[in-house]
Amino acid sequence: MKLNQLFLATVAGMQLVFPARSADDTATNSTGAAQAEIPAYTASGGSAQSAEAAEIEALKKEIQELSQKVQALAHQRDLDQQTNTDTAREQIQDLDQQVRILGRQRELDQESAVATAKALPKISAGADGFSFTSADTNFSLALHGVLQVDSRSFFANDNVQGDNSFLLRRARPILQGTVYRDFDFVFVPDFGGSVVQIFDAYVNYRYAPELQLQAGKFKSPVGLETLQSDVNILFNERSLATDLVPNRDVGFALHGDLFNGAASYAAGIFNGAPDYSGTTTNADFDSFKAFAGRVFLQPLKNSDVAVLKGFGFGLGGSYEQDHAWTNTASTGLTPGYTTDGQQKFFTYTNGVAGHGTHWRIAPQGSYYYGPLGVFGEYVISDQQIRNVPRHLNAELQNTAWDISGSWLLTGEDAAPNGVEPKHPFNPKRGQWGAWQVVGRFAELDVDNHAFPNYANPNTSASEAKAWAAGLNWYLNRNIRVDASFSHTWFDGGTGPGATVTKQPENVLFTRIQLGF
Amino acid sequence: MAAETGEITTMKIFLKILVPLAFSFALVAGAKEIKLLNVSYDPTRELYQDYNAAFAKFWKAKTGDDVVVAQSHSGSGKQAQSVINGLEADVVTLALAYDIDAISQQAKLLPADWQKRLPDNSTPYSSTIVFLVRKGNPKHIKDWDDLVKPNVVVVTPNPKTSGGARWNYLAAWAYALDKYGHDDAQARDFVKRLYKNVPVLDSGARGSTTTFVEREIGDVLLAWENEAHLAIKQFGVDKFDIVTPPLSILAEPPVAVVDRVARKHGTADVARAYLEYLYSDEGQDIAGRNFYRPRSEKAAAKYAGQFAPVKLVTVDEAFGGWQKAQKTHFADGSVFDQIFQP
Repeated sequence: MKLNQLFLATVAGMQLVFPARSADDTATNSTGAAQAEIPAYTASGGSAQSAEAAEIEALKKEIQELSQKVQALAHQRDLDQQTNTDTAREQIQDLDQQVRILGRQRELDQESAVATAKALPKISAGADGFSFTSADTNFSLALHGVLQVDSRSFFANDNVQGDNSFLLRRARPILQGTVYRDFDFVFVPDFGGSVVQIFDAYVNYRYAPELQLQAGKFKSPVGLETLQSDVNILFNERSLATDLVPNRDVGFALHGDLFNGAASYAAGIFNGAPDYSGTTTNADFDSFKAFAGRVFLQPLKNSDVAVLKGFGFGLGGSYEQDHAWTNTASTGLTPGYTTDGQQKFFTYTNGVAGHGTHWRIAPQGSYYYGPLGVFGEYVISDQQIRNVPRHLNAELQNTAWDISGSWLLTGEDAAPNGVEPKHPFNPKRGQWGAWQVVGRFAELDVDNHAFPNYANPNTSASEAKAWAAGLNWYLNRNIRVDASFSHTWFDGGTGPGATVTKQPENVLFTRIQLGF
Repeated sequence: MAAETGEITTMKIFLKILVPLAFSFALVAGAKEIKLLNVSYDPTRELYQDYNAAFAKFWKAKTGDDVVVAQSHSGSGKQAQSVINGLEADVVTLALAYDIDAISQQAKLLPADWQKRLPDNSTPYSSTIVFLVRKGNPKHIKDWDDLVKPNVVVVTPNPKTSGGARWNYLAAWAYALDKYGHDDAQARDFVKRLYKNVPVLDSGARGSTTTFVEREIGDVLLAWENEAHLAIKQFGVDKFDIVTPPLSILAEPPVAVVDRVARKHGTADVARAYLEYLYSDEGQDIAGRNFYRPRSEKAAAKYAGQFAPVKLVTVDEAFGGWQKAQKTHFADGSVFDQIFQP
């Protein structure tokens, strides 16, 4: 527009200048086109004026045409500029969209990569063991393990009690997994001790947490301490009360947790296992089956009453028929009740076998609050037996109980399923793990009617009592070092030939444990 | 003697122990909090946030029990697959019947006739597909034809994973059938041209809304009607306009109890009540308030003003039902795979 206005102003200026120029031209007789026309203007008055007017008109017309051309040119230039601007804007917008699209696609690619990663099997290694799991978690396989290297030192044993020894108490790889989401399996051989055994081998179907079916070989659901995992027991050996409950057995059990874990139950049918025996079997010795079950309640587990959340109590029991006729490994009887030092202080005499009903009942309870842990149980094992060679029958009722306590000096929470140190062992950082003091008292009373027809009163005690105290050091969740002392004394079993029961048993235990 | 003594002792022990045990069981059983998992599709977050609170209040007043409903949201197809793979949903509220059919057929978690168990084919509310455009509608998008123009960028999710995307696709196809006299070849070409204008495929409807609204990509978002209204409600009327095309599809998102899971959880009764309450006055009102088209006449009348008139075709009419539509258009190697090249 400015160019256009300038041009018009210039032309207007030319119009104003023309008359003067005509006068000058007249005066100077200048030559040129204008000069040739002007004489007509100056030659005669009217015609000259007319010619001048025509000329002015022609000039005006020419100016108008020129003005229109200029305007057209200016307009075209404006249009061109506008078009260029619009094109540039569109190009910028397009580029902006392209950038945004690329950015969004990158976001989606990243989301897709995350989703793809989620779809891949997961491999993990940590304090809880080593495992790999399908992306949908329906299939998994985990490797866990327990290794316990112990020492036992017997004091004042006059060379008649147990040997001072190092021993590989447990060496168990634990293979555990899940198939098709709801089917778990566990396989646990033991290479510790002197006999290689399969300790656990079972399949568990989880219909719901409240309803599960387990089949195979596993711990019979009766004793409280027996059911505690081997890596989490307080002492090297379980208490005398455990002598009266079954160990692993082969069978089926329905079990589950109710009310978010506030109650649990288990009930099953099994081959039937003798009172606790370290050596377990994989087959039955008769056609009679055992029923075992347990209910455990923690009524305030999910409440806000912190001091009572860890209180629980329950009842375990079993019932079976045993009809064995010889005193072999298949008598249906325990091979012997053992002390903390794993020495037999009571055994049935040769020719005695289970012959009739065998039932047990085991009320039990536990309490955990902060660093404090306490648990105990009382067990009655009532069994009909027969001295086969002498054709004698009896029903014996053996009883046992124990109470165990622990206190974590370093402030961690006590729990039945182990201790997690607040500050895992790392001397460079001044961290020393968790320290726990433990104590226990236990008693086992053999029915006096066992003597003399079914057990030798000279070599078997009718009662054993034991106390134990110790210190456990949890370096971290996987490594633990224990030291404890146990004192056991006996009633009876001091006659000719007595060894174990001849004097109290004093044992110092140590243990280095790896559990993962 | 030993045997008699043993029996008497045993009886005493049983009495002393079983009585407190029974008492404790009763104590433990007293408290009751019910947990439900509702596995739903993408744009229902706000709907069920409102509805769950209302239902919990209703159930508490009726039974005294507390109900806590957990929500899971993603593309409808993805959600169905998750349930098939083991996600323990007590109820599913998905974008289309086909996805619940898949759960029934592949995982056997609910009977094949699940859709007959609640009114209106177990669809307590309906919706349709509309266009969300930028304020002032700069590309002058009025109908499906405008979406196939070369300079129009369309945002819609992936029909392989999103229920809403399948509704979008079928709505476009239904329009083309209507326009071209039910010529499938021309309809196919039309939809192919439309998807040439789609630069990004999100896995779910909410993702596409993010693409269009927050990432500012595209000229038009093919959206659930409720999602479009929600975008305007959330981001302001000065940002977007809703264009309702003259013809669209009747989208019917169904609901169902996942019987086997609910039985396993012990939640079958409350899960059924949870879905039935969607048909109550309060449930229908909440649906309308969240821009779903209620089934009840009362709620439909109350919220009629917020929905533009539109001719709606059904999947049964235009495509012979979901099973056929799925097989023809969305199964691996079917039409969508053939026409869409990312």
